[in-house]
Amino acid sequence: MAAFTYAPAIVLLPFVSFLVALFAGDRMPKGGALAGITATGGSLLLSIWVALTVGGFTGSSTSYNEFVYTWVAGVDSVSLRFGLLLDPLSALMLLIVTLISFLVHIFSLGYMNDEGETGLPRYYAGLGLFTASMLGFVVANNLLMAFIFFELVGLCSYLLIGFWFREDGPPSAAKKAFLVTRFGDYFFLIGVVGILATFGTGLFAPVREGGEIVAQSFPHLAEDAVVNGATEGIAMLDTVGMGAQGWFTVLALLVLGGVIGKSAQFPLHTWLPDAMEGPTPVSALIHAATMVAAGVYLVARMYGFYAISPTALAVVALVGGFTALFAATMGVVKQELKQVLAYSTISQYGYMMLALGSGGYVAAVFHLTTHAFFKALLFLGAGSVIIAMHHNENMWDMGGLKDRMPVTYWTFLAGSLALAGIVPFAGFWSKDEVLYEALIHGLGSGGGLGPAFLLAYAMGLLAVFMTGFYTFRMVYLTFHGEPRSDIARDPVSVGWNVKGPLSVLGVLAATIGFINMKPVAELTGLHIDFLHAWLHGPDEAGWPALLGTDLVTYEELYHDVAGISSGYLPVIQSEGTLVLSAVVSLSLAVGGVLFARSLYSDPHPVEHTDKLGDVKTLLMHNYYQDEYQVWLATGFTYPIARAMDKFDQGVVDGVVNGVSSVSLFGGSRIRKIQSGVVSNYATLLTLGLVLLLVFFGLVGGWF
Amino acid sequence: MAIPAQSYLLLSAAVFCIGLFGVLTRRNALIFLMSVELMLNAANINFVAFSLQHGNLTGQVFALFGMAIAAAEVAVGIGIILVLYRNFSDVDVTKATTMRW
Repeated sequence: MAAFTYAPAIVLLPFVSFLVALFAGDRMPKGGALAGITATGGSLLLSIWVALTVGGFTGSSTSYNEFVYTWVAGVDSVSLRFGLLLDPLSALMLLIVTLISFLVHIFSLGYMNDEGETGLPRYYAGLGLFTASMLGFVVANNLLMAFIFFELVGLCSYLLIGFWFREDGPPSAAKKAFLVTRFGDYFFLIGVVGILATFGTGLFAPVREGGEIVAQSFPHLAEDAVVNGATEGIAMLDTVGMGAQGWFTVLALLVLGGVIGKSAQFPLHTWLPDAMEGPTPVSALIHAATMVAAGVYLVARMYGFYAISPTALAVVALVGGFTALFAATMGVVKQELKQVLAYSTISQYGYMMLALGSGGYVAAVFHLTTHAFFKALLFLGAGSVIIAMHHNENMWDMGGLKDRMPVTYWTFLAGSLALAGIVPFAGFWSKDEVLYEALIHGLGSGGGLGPAFLLAYAMGLLAVFMTGFYTFRMVYLTFHGEPRSDIARDPVSVGWNVKGPLSVLGVLAATIGFINMKPVAELTGLHIDFLHAWLHGPDEAGWPALLGTDLVTYEELYHDVAGISSGYLPVIQSEGTLVLSAVVSLSLAVGGVLFARSLYSDPHPVEHTDKLGDVKTLLMHNYYQDEYQVWLATGFTYPIARAMDKFDQGVVDGVVNGVSSVSLFGGSRIRKIQSGVVSNYATLLTLGLVLLLVFFGLVGGWF
Repeated sequence: MAIPAQSYLLLSAAVFCIGLFGVLTRRNALIFLMSVELMLNAANINFVAFSLQHGNLTGQVFALFGMAIAAAEVAVGIGIILVLYRNFSDVDVTKATTMRW
């Protein structure tokens, strides 16, 4: 297919823009922005073409999974190769990433260029590389390539968060983001090595040549080992002395470490709120399409591997559910606009993890999609407000911006309604589906899995209320009431390059949910759950049969192997459960919104956080997460490192130094033999010869 | 009548031991050189003796080589002794002890 021939260009175009901006940016108008806009625009068009090809709009539905480059050719062992996997999941993600990146580039014209920032070539080079790395990660067809691009994404986030490196905050925030995600990636790396050692391949889907499988994928091998007991080829199992499923669970959890770091899940979420120190368009890119999305995408990409391990699924669901609630509570008390959004991001990614863990593959991808658009919208809206407020982010200095910046207000409102999950905005449909899947699988699954899902569901449900509350607290404080500062009375106006992206995303945030209106589809029997069909694929042959990355495979896996099945509430049955779930989550969201309205819709709102008492202090300090992690570093790791250093200096180096001083001492004595007197040498020579003769005489039996 | 090979070997051993004794006990570099010559010539006697014993001329050829080497060695040795004398105003080998630890 022609589109697939050009698919590598999707990744390479932003990379070229990175090179152009880096080396020629200061000689170009707009500091290299145009190169970035052109490149991401081109990638967007190519992604659309790829998506159309994958979806079968330009012919029959098809897919692509080929190696493009061999990095290290292994002889009778693992080969390290780069390849492209284009199936509906990666095609969808390509669309999201390129679109958001394109809009962020345009928005940057308003946020960076018009504000007279310096160092623009560096900024646009960073954006280009960031986009290229994320796209490379999305199309990766094996785990090692995914890992390399995963790390590149982390590096770019470091460069961009620390863009204003002359100030105090950004460099340390950048370092924190890099180190905390690296901590998770450390486990990921062990997981990658473990998977390569176990299966001899890191492929996500089998590679075929002429219809024959030439390289099997690791999820299929794992499935084969667990379901059919085909463990002969897996020598690693004997090494570790575990059963197939147990060992695969360990591997899945190791990879999950990287996911938890990148997707900012508890307990490695602490880097994300600090990452707000970076430029706001970068925050939008990090939170909506790249970096944070990478973690969740990775689980979705290798979902076949997670689906065979009920333990891993339960862990994913619980981490997700807990993070959703945990982050939402912290978002309630924040005073800065971007901080609220940061915690909402953590919380929303928690929902995605909850969905993935509880067998809601479509729900997770759906929420990933809708969240990408409405969170990008909210961040860009916040960026617009920040431009207007002269980079003052404190919401208590805002107020009344509604009439002064209507485009920003209405689009931001659309994003907020989507985030809060109010019907019919995008977030409602996806969040409702996440919770619905968690509920029915919680009710239907046996063993410890059901209660785990129900617990995660309960936490997610509680977070819905919080989400509605903090979202509209933010809206009311920022846009409603009377202006509370001089700047807010006379904000700076923003240009087309800010309003344009906002409008596009505003429309998307309102409508993107219609791609998968599952409750409506189920109740009316209409086939309007398009995303479901997109991930489901054709029933016979087509890409599901070729790649095995389709919904049917996953559903069979987690049903048959992990033991997840659907159950419904008694009496009201399936349709009743569906409606009840939607009504409960919607009414909780509306309740949160109304509660925020009752507290903050006043023209002169006052802080209510003091009523929380000690809880406020706890929340303002983010549950002392940073403190305990710093304590872990300084109070726990540091003494251990010191003891290790002592051991290293004392014992290891001591032995080495001891050996060397013994030889030094011995040498200083033995060298006295060299007296400089020739006669002595002659004597020694003669004695030596005589001794040698005597020795050989004795050994040879001459005497 | 033919002289038995043992006599030559005894002579050779005696000459060698005299040379070795000289090397080990004397301090004059010239005597040193002479002693070394004695040891070389002891080897030559051996060559010739075994050559006669085996009826093979190779040993005699090697004796000629040995003499050539001895001559070359004396040339080098005398040169060294001259430099030794120039540096230490003496040809006592035990005095020249600067090349040590």
